[in-house]
Amino acid sequence: MTELVQTLVFGVLVGGVYSLVASGMNLVFGVMKVVNLAQGAMLILSAYLTYSLWKAVDLDPLLLVLVTAPSMYVVGWATYYLFIERARTTDPAMALVTTFGLALITKGIMALLWGNDQHAVTPAYANRSFTLGSLHFPQAQLYACLVAVAILAGLYALLRYTWLGQSVQAAASSSDGARLIGIEVRKVRAAAFALGVAAAGAGGALLSVLYPFTPSSTDHWIGLMLSIIVLGGMGSLPGSVLGAVLIALAESLTAAYIAPDWATAVPYLVIILVLLARPQGLMGIRLREDMSRA
Amino acid sequence: MTTTHVRRSVIGAAAALLLLFPVLSDNAYYQNMAIMAFLMAIMASGWNIISGYTGYISLGQSAFLGIGAYTSALLAIHLDISPFLAAPVGGVVAAFFAVVLALTGRRTRGIAFVIVSFAFLELTGLLASNWTGLTGGNHGLPLPLPTWDRDVHNWPFYYSLLVLLAVTVWGSWAIRRSKLGIGLLAIHDDESKAEGVGVRADRYKMLAFAASAFPIGIAGGIYGYYVSFLEPAAMFDIVIAMQIVLAAHLGGVGTLWGPVLGAFLLEPLTQLTNQQLSGPDAGAWRLVIYGALLAAVVLFFPKGVLVEGAKWWRRIRGGEPQATAGRRLPDLPATLPASVSERLRPSAGDGALARPLVTVDGLRKSFGGVHAVQDCSFTVERGSITGLIGPNGSGKTTVFNLLDGSLRQDAGTIQLSGRMVHTLARWQRAHAGLARTYQATRVFPHLTTLENLAVASDAFSLGRLRASAISGSEAKRAREWLDFVGMGAYADHPAGQLSYGQQKLVELAQALMLEPQLLLLDEPAAGISPALVERLSAIIRQLNGCGMTVLIVEHNMPMVLSLCDRIHVLAQGRVLASGAPGQIERNPAVLDAYLGGHSAHGATSGATS
Repeated sequence: MTELVQTLVFGVLVGGVYSLVASGMNLVFGVMKVVNLAQGAMLILSAYLTYSLWKAVDLDPLLLVLVTAPSMYVVGWATYYLFIERARTTDPAMALVTTFGLALITKGIMALLWGNDQHAVTPAYANRSFTLGSLHFPQAQLYACLVAVAILAGLYALLRYTWLGQSVQAAASSSDGARLIGIEVRKVRAAAFALGVAAAGAGGALLSVLYPFTPSSTDHWIGLMLSIIVLGGMGSLPGSVLGAVLIALAESLTAAYIAPDWATAVPYLVIILVLLARPQGLMGIRLREDMSRA
Repeated sequence: MTTTHVRRSVIGAAAALLLLFPVLSDNAYYQNMAIMAFLMAIMASGWNIISGYTGYISLGQSAFLGIGAYTSALLAIHLDISPFLAAPVGGVVAAFFAVVLALTGRRTRGIAFVIVSFAFLELTGLLASNWTGLTGGNHGLPLPLPTWDRDVHNWPFYYSLLVLLAVTVWGSWAIRRSKLGIGLLAIHDDESKAEGVGVRADRYKMLAFAASAFPIGIAGGIYGYYVSFLEPAAMFDIVIAMQIVLAAHLGGVGTLWGPVLGAFLLEPLTQLTNQQLSGPDAGAWRLVIYGALLAAVVLFFPKGVLVEGAKWWRRIRGGEPQATAGRRLPDLPATLPASVSERLRPSAGDGALARPLVTVDGLRKSFGGVHAVQDCSFTVERGSITGLIGPNGSGKTTVFNLLDGSLRQDAGTIQLSGRMVHTLARWQRAHAGLARTYQATRVFPHLTTLENLAVASDAFSLGRLRASAISGSEAKRAREWLDFVGMGAYADHPAGQLSYGQQKLVELAQALMLEPQLLLLDEPAAGISPALVERLSAIIRQLNGCGMTVLIVEHNMPMVLSLCDRIHVLAQGRVLASGAPGQIERNPAVLDAYLGGHSAHGATSGATS
């Protein structure tokens, strides 16, 4: 029983971080219907940035979110104007392939800069836990989860209550309509894309503390993000949070009760099963199809 | 010499050279390069069937290479047979997995398929590395070494892959010519429209995916034997999946020879980068180079470098094909072709003939808070021309979309010829005898006019899918209908280049290919010249004279009043009045709905488009 509760606790803590990581990808999809596979590479890139900064200045890695998120915003902004704007005009599936190309480039660059060895950021509290009765709360996971939830709350507030957020939503539901009421859709899209990458930037700082990483970790994280947004419903941010927690729970249960090796298979299995049985995911909406081409 | 001749000679010469190459040269380096090029060409040609023809991009095609390799290796080891004998089984297993995976394509489109294919590749790779009892996991699986003479070591691999490549290209050619292949191209252009003309898209996609996986599975078996050692990381490699996409794009996506050509261009580059790059950073540089190539090719040459390059070359030489010149349509034939009118005769017994062909009862459909159709009931008498009119936003097109299955009703029933059809899928309704045209035409732009007709299908059978779409009985029927509407002269033109009015005629002929019991026409006269309106009216009368029932939505009142036997007036999603044209013309409620204050309210639904 304790083992089960412990596993659930662990799953929920990790789920918080997963939510942040997947929300960036889902935000970009919701606004411009582009699945950004490079998001996984951006995440790992941000983890490497965190590592280098942490080595150089010895600040708390979780605080470095304040540096990595804005830096990745800039990277995302540049990526949008260099590649994504053009990719958007092609077939959505081909746009996805383009972003996969970007992921490969980023992966290669990371390997050139940091090598293929495993890196990890290990602050003093990395191996400490709080104990409550017989339950353990690993400190790193707990802090990371809190930071993730705070950033997510900020992201929601930004989308809901600011002018930028309103224009992002307007541009998402009708770009022509948004243009008519004076929104510069191009700039708004760039901002939304950059915001998505910035979310990965924040997530990367958090994950650098939780997991060791190499450039090849990219593929695993792409699969994880995809499974979360497919499960939660493509384009639904609340769905991402739900999907993230469920995937994290499924992973930690698999690792605890079956074998750690098979936990990595969970996201891919979830993708295939969800798309077989319920393609719109848990909280996605089916859209009218008859109007799309008329 | 014509282009066809040049092309044939080039292909023939290349084939002869490849056939003789191992005999002429025993250079192992070049033999290896050729073997790898054959492998890539097979994979890219296979990929082209699902992704080039059908438009469903697979980013996990190399999974089938791994599946084929492991299947035939395990069979060879445990049954003690030659991996060459086991390789076809690898192909079958790969095709089986493709069929299972294609089940996700039943209800999803584009992006979801890319994601599924990617997930499948990663999952199979994990299976191979985690299921150590079967595959040896990450320690790898050694195969028995070849027993033949070292001097001709590569020959069996070389020739078996060359033959497999030839068979794959032949298969791709045969599919492209068949009714199946045309259906795949139609799915690429407009999937829901394809279902509307009876294409059973889920099965077509399943067959296409299986056909694309099968040769790759066989190739995997041969390749596994060639490298004689299987590792999950090398066999289920995302970089190979990416190179497949790249090879197809270097040549030409959706063309027959493009993927092969692309593979032969890409392979030397791979060898070059393998040679030039060494040391610890080699892998990283390869990722950068291929990633950049992939992004650049997809962004700037979405149809393939050679295809787009050829287009560009034609443009600067000023050799753009002439636009189709407007031509006077031939006079309408006085009667339908005899064979056609024979088939159209209603076949049901006398009792059934007395009942209405269509009975719509209590139909309801809402979009959010907008009640586009509510409690709508009407009948369409067998052998009649029935009109459906009403102000904009009154729900006419929504009713059509409910009838043909593009939308699912919230409540109510639809009977066609005594059979409940409101729960059927679109293609089932097409098979049941229901065909429609659209207000804004939806022909398949990349198919020729003839192919646009040949794609229509009133039943699903594997035998018919194999049949050639451009010769034989299907094509003969298609020509008859094209001649009937007066578009026979345009049979080989891409339908996307036709004028709007011409497309309307083609779309009508396409619907007629289904030889439907009920023909639904959505504003056939909108946006075309008065002469063409006359022609359409004459066509509709002729069809009706042969026993076809027609339901027509139209704003052109003179046309409706002169054509229809009976008219239903819709307002705000309900049937407001029904009757003969003379009664409807004078009905005060109808006049009020068209001209009075109610119409503005109904127009907000936006259901007509």
